[in-house]
Amino acid sequence: MLFGRHNKNPIKIADKGVVEWKYAACGYCSTGCSIEVGLNAEGTPVSSRGVADADVNRGKLCLKGIFEHELFTSAGRGMQPLMRERWHEPWQPATWDASLDKLHDEIRRIQAEHGPDSFAIISTGQMLTEEFYTLGKLTRGLIGTNNYDGNTTLCMSSAVSGYKRSFGSDGPPGCYEDFEHTDCLIAWGSNLPEQHPIIYWRMKEAQEKRNFTLIVVDPRVTMLAQNAHIHLALTPGTDVVLMNAMMHVIFKEGLHDQRYIDANTNGVEALMAEVEKYDPVTASKICGIDEDTIRVVARTFAQSSAAMQIWTMGINQSTHGSDGVVGINNLALITGNIGKPGGTSLSITGQCNAMGTREWSSCSGLPNYRYLENPQHREEVAQFWNVDPEFFPKKRGMLQTDIYQAMEAGQIKGMWLIATNPMSSLPNTARIRKAMEKLEFCCVQDCYQDTESAQYAHVYLPAGTWAEKDGVMTNTERRINRITPITPPPGEAKPDLWVFNRVAERFNRDGRVNFPEQAGDIFLEMGRLSEGRLADISGMNHELIEQCRGIQWPYTAEQAERGEAPPKGGKRLYTVDGTFSYPDGRAKLIPLPFIDNNEVPDEKFPIWLNTGRLIEHWHGRTKTGKIGNNNKFSPIPFIEISPDLAAELGIQRGEYVRMVSRRGDAVAMATPTQRVPKNMVFLPFHFHDCANRLTLGLLDPHSRQPAYKQSAIRIERIEDQAAAAKLSMEMRKF
Amino acid sequence: MFPIRPNEPDYALLKDPSSKLQNRYGKSIETVPEGHELRGLSLNINGDAGIGANPNRYKQHGFFFNADNCIACHACEAACSEKNDNPAHIAFRSVGFVEGGTYPSYQRLNISMACNHCDNPVCLKGCPTRAYTKFAEYGAVLQDPDICFGCGYCTWVCPYNAPQLDPIKGQVSKCNMCVDRLEVGLKPSCVSACLGKALDFGVIENIPEGRSQARTEIPGFPRPDITHPNIRFQQTRTTQRDMVRVDSMPVKYHRDDDRGGFRPVLDPKHDFKREWNLDKLLGSHENAHIIFTLCVQAAMGAFLMLALGAWLNLAAVIEFIGGAAYLPAVGAMLGLMTFGLVKLNLHLGKPMRFYRGFNNWRLSPVSREIAGVSLFFAGLSGYAVFSVAGDILPAVAPYAGALKQVATAAGLLGLAFGGYYMIKLYRIPARPFWDHWHTGAAFSGTALGLGALLLALIALAFGAMTPDLGSGLASLIAAALLLEGVGLLAHLRDLRGQGEEGDASFYEQTTTFGYPYWLRNGLLALSLLLALIAAATGNPLLFFPLALTLTAAAIIGRALFYVLVIPTTMPGAFFWRNKGFVEHARAVGLADMPQLGVVPGRH
Repeated sequence: MLFGRHNKNPIKIADKGVVEWKYAACGYCSTGCSIEVGLNAEGTPVSSRGVADADVNRGKLCLKGIFEHELFTSAGRGMQPLMRERWHEPWQPATWDASLDKLHDEIRRIQAEHGPDSFAIISTGQMLTEEFYTLGKLTRGLIGTNNYDGNTTLCMSSAVSGYKRSFGSDGPPGCYEDFEHTDCLIAWGSNLPEQHPIIYWRMKEAQEKRNFTLIVVDPRVTMLAQNAHIHLALTPGTDVVLMNAMMHVIFKEGLHDQRYIDANTNGVEALMAEVEKYDPVTASKICGIDEDTIRVVARTFAQSSAAMQIWTMGINQSTHGSDGVVGINNLALITGNIGKPGGTSLSITGQCNAMGTREWSSCSGLPNYRYLENPQHREEVAQFWNVDPEFFPKKRGMLQTDIYQAMEAGQIKGMWLIATNPMSSLPNTARIRKAMEKLEFCCVQDCYQDTESAQYAHVYLPAGTWAEKDGVMTNTERRINRITPITPPPGEAKPDLWVFNRVAERFNRDGRVNFPEQAGDIFLEMGRLSEGRLADISGMNHELIEQCRGIQWPYTAEQAERGEAPPKGGKRLYTVDGTFSYPDGRAKLIPLPFIDNNEVPDEKFPIWLNTGRLIEHWHGRTKTGKIGNNNKFSPIPFIEISPDLAAELGIQRGEYVRMVSRRGDAVAMATPTQRVPKNMVFLPFHFHDCANRLTLGLLDPHSRQPAYKQSAIRIERIEDQAAAAKLSMEMRKF
Repeated sequence: MFPIRPNEPDYALLKDPSSKLQNRYGKSIETVPEGHELRGLSLNINGDAGIGANPNRYKQHGFFFNADNCIACHACEAACSEKNDNPAHIAFRSVGFVEGGTYPSYQRLNISMACNHCDNPVCLKGCPTRAYTKFAEYGAVLQDPDICFGCGYCTWVCPYNAPQLDPIKGQVSKCNMCVDRLEVGLKPSCVSACLGKALDFGVIENIPEGRSQARTEIPGFPRPDITHPNIRFQQTRTTQRDMVRVDSMPVKYHRDDDRGGFRPVLDPKHDFKREWNLDKLLGSHENAHIIFTLCVQAAMGAFLMLALGAWLNLAAVIEFIGGAAYLPAVGAMLGLMTFGLVKLNLHLGKPMRFYRGFNNWRLSPVSREIAGVSLFFAGLSGYAVFSVAGDILPAVAPYAGALKQVATAAGLLGLAFGGYYMIKLYRIPARPFWDHWHTGAAFSGTALGLGALLLALIALAFGAMTPDLGSGLASLIAAALLLEGVGLLAHLRDLRGQGEEGDASFYEQTTTFGYPYWLRNGLLALSLLLALIAAATGNPLLFFPLALTLTAAAIIGRALFYVLVIPTTMPGAFFWRNKGFVEHARAVGLADMPQLGVVPGRH
């Protein structure tokens, strides 16, 4: 054996000199991993690692979390407030006071001139829960616009809506521990390995132990689909038909759980009558899954002693998104697969704190799943906040997608845009651009000054990001986890909470409403407001949450007083018969007639456009586009295109192609692969001025979530490749 | 010692309660026996004198990769780069993939690959500076960037793309097996980060719990006989017959039912259009090698003719040596050598460390080449000095003749030794296009052809051309061209259509560089015709067109030699580890963004 040198130099291995590790929940997706960020002797964040004893991730992180410490110093961060009279003028540095006064004055001016709802506030799923709660209190209690929503409309509102329709309330009933008990898992339009890699790992750990059946419904052969026992490559947008057909088989063959249905649900007769129309033969013609497979899948699912279903954007981002969620819930309810170990319908959420905004932001109503439509809820919250209950609207206002349409139509005149980038994320970019151009006033509050939406802003407020702030977030399995301030925001940037409190001061001159300064105190206030509610968090506080590496709600003050420690995991909702959130404690079985209103390919636009996520990127790429060790895996937009289609069009591997839809066009590089069928391309949505130049984004009637995943396009070969490369590069700065 | 947490998760802990005695290549898994002098030493990591308590410290370790499970989540790569503080353009571990089938019966096979800490570490053997060490501890092959001078030869010989040449730092670095973690009983960072339950690590030949295979081949992985890599695979799913690379390399892997496993075969990715691509051909990083080999070979050829001609008492040569062209010829040889050596040295990442090139003379053909060429240069210099010394310093005159003979002998020795290893260093098993005797034929042909041409042109310039000399040199050029031509034909016969990466090189030769290739062939044929006519007629004027055709053929031919080599290496992904995308990013300016992970081109 060879050993080389005798006189060896000392081995050098990089040592980042970490002297202290600080705790935070990850700020990317909703998995809710616990991270420790390592600081060197100078106090600079230099390293990230998974927290070993955190139940969610057990020491693991995905590639985004592994480099999350690099976020703090990434390019494009806002360092000071900026103002300008018109959006096409250059920015002028401003003081916090001047810019916040301007924001206050413009809100009041526009409201005075055009009515209280003519000013829209659009937030996000990215901030911390205390910030959401404070913004909600400010908006609902003091500013008083009913056009207040978050970008969670783009990812989670179908899940919210579906849960509400089926169970009477939002709130995913399952948990990650369900993987350890299930016998059958159906993943509907969910690509865990790419979107929620740590949840995938938890699933894989469980599957290697028990080898439960994995069924994946996805038009694209994702890694999850490839590794599934059964892959259902269905026709885009027809999930509901498949669900109905499965229920048809289940009822026909008597595989349903009559006891559970009797004890827990209403409406089974209407449901049975509806699914009667969806025999597998009829359904197979619509959804593209052959009748035998439909039967096998239905039987496998219904005959499992515990079966769970997960879903993500494949369901949510559809014109039948809310219906799809209801369909999943229907399947779970008729087979008794809710609230038991391994039996659940678990929405795999998108953003890190989409759950927090659902619970606490008051976007869709009032805190902790309270409804504006419910007089008692309005009374409770008004009293708690010390505001006039009559100040609250009696009905929820518009959602983000509708707000933009109203903006385009001239009904919305001003906007405060917080930690979201609709110029990249909303469908049909051309119309979004027009709508933003028209605003009399737009304030963008974001940690990045180079967020594309800031180009139409009159005031820019530099915010802190992720662990520059203090607070909590809720993950997919309802686990509240802590973010500690690891490093202060750069320059004059401030935590969003600080900004909301300063704005609140301007609307709260008489000091009538209390706005605590510390996130920990706000959390305790939220705890009191949560007592007796579904999402009861009254037993928790910041310290306990960090100590437990996150606590699943509910965890009540009563439990805490009893000395009952929060469980490590495995907490479920609706575990007892008749405890659903409808007043009678029963869930609703809702019939789902299918109307095909998708934009389906035709002669002029013969190709399906399917959009989706890549593991290395986070949403609009404002974060990951700047971190080389993430970005390098897909630095420019590309499409997966069938080699057969590419050959027909004369397109070669690595060439840029032009995609044209009824909305506009976009340029991306072609990567031929048989992962997609010949009549479909897959285009990641992360890139600015790309996928959403094409998408129609037809809105779901219940959730108002856009159907990003079903559009029709045509593809053209580009002769001048050099010009296309230049264009593709110019269209995004990072 | 690496700071271990009290609650390190179980998956991060090394578990090898027992191990086999020998690996499948017949090597002892124990690296050094009890009591060996290499036992009980500190690895001296960052100057720490501690010695790890790992009970398997002196056993060969290796990665285990379960290809059934990898999801290409990049967590291993990210964890590696985070731990080793690597910038985006450097990665000790990379995930690439191959794919096959037709929708929806489509299959993608991801492969995460770092260093395999081979039993036969070709990097260690190839490295001229002895920057590599195979340690008794864990059998880790570690490379010391502080010793490396950035020649990149290890990146040529390694089939796994493990050594990473950083063009910014001008040095190589690579996977260090996380020996700091091994010392405290932790698996490497990449393994601990794996989210697909694909990557594992332990004493070699041990099969991790829940796994059933320990193979050494999967589609896309180079054949193991080159280096005897310490990696084992599980891959139980039936793969498609054709598994295609998605990077720009025109290679796919085809199932070989007779021999088992997969063989690389040609995948004509970009049809059969013939192109010029002169900028790619002549603008590559390998220009230094083109210049160096051509210059040195021309000088060597000319020297050989003068030295042997004199020793053999050939009238034409004796006359040439006595004539006005002799000293200019010697000067030209020196000039060519100097130019070539300077160019070669400047292409190093760290030219100031050039002297380290001899360090690995025991093992490295590069060290031996450098030694031989240096000896030749010394001999040539002595030859030059003693050719004129007698005239300038009369005191030296009596010894000048003898000393010149000594220098000539040294020069010839250096020429033989250096010339041999100059060829030998290209006979790299992981580079099938080079690993053929045509490399020797081409280099020798260049030496004879350009050497003879050099003498002929100088003779013409200084009025020393004689019909004998002219036809002699023209005959040599014709012979050289025949040698090179026969070599090229044999190369074509042996590689084209035979599968492996060599076939892909020929595909590139006739498509991407199709016009230069045929231009070169035409120039060779024309040169041969001119040389034959010159040899027959003794017409010295023919050397002028011959100079053009022969030089052009040599430059294009040598450029093709470098640009066409397709290594036996790991498949890349579509952007990352895709040579085609790197070239594109450099061409259009994307590479100027540091977060792209592509270092802008430098010429």
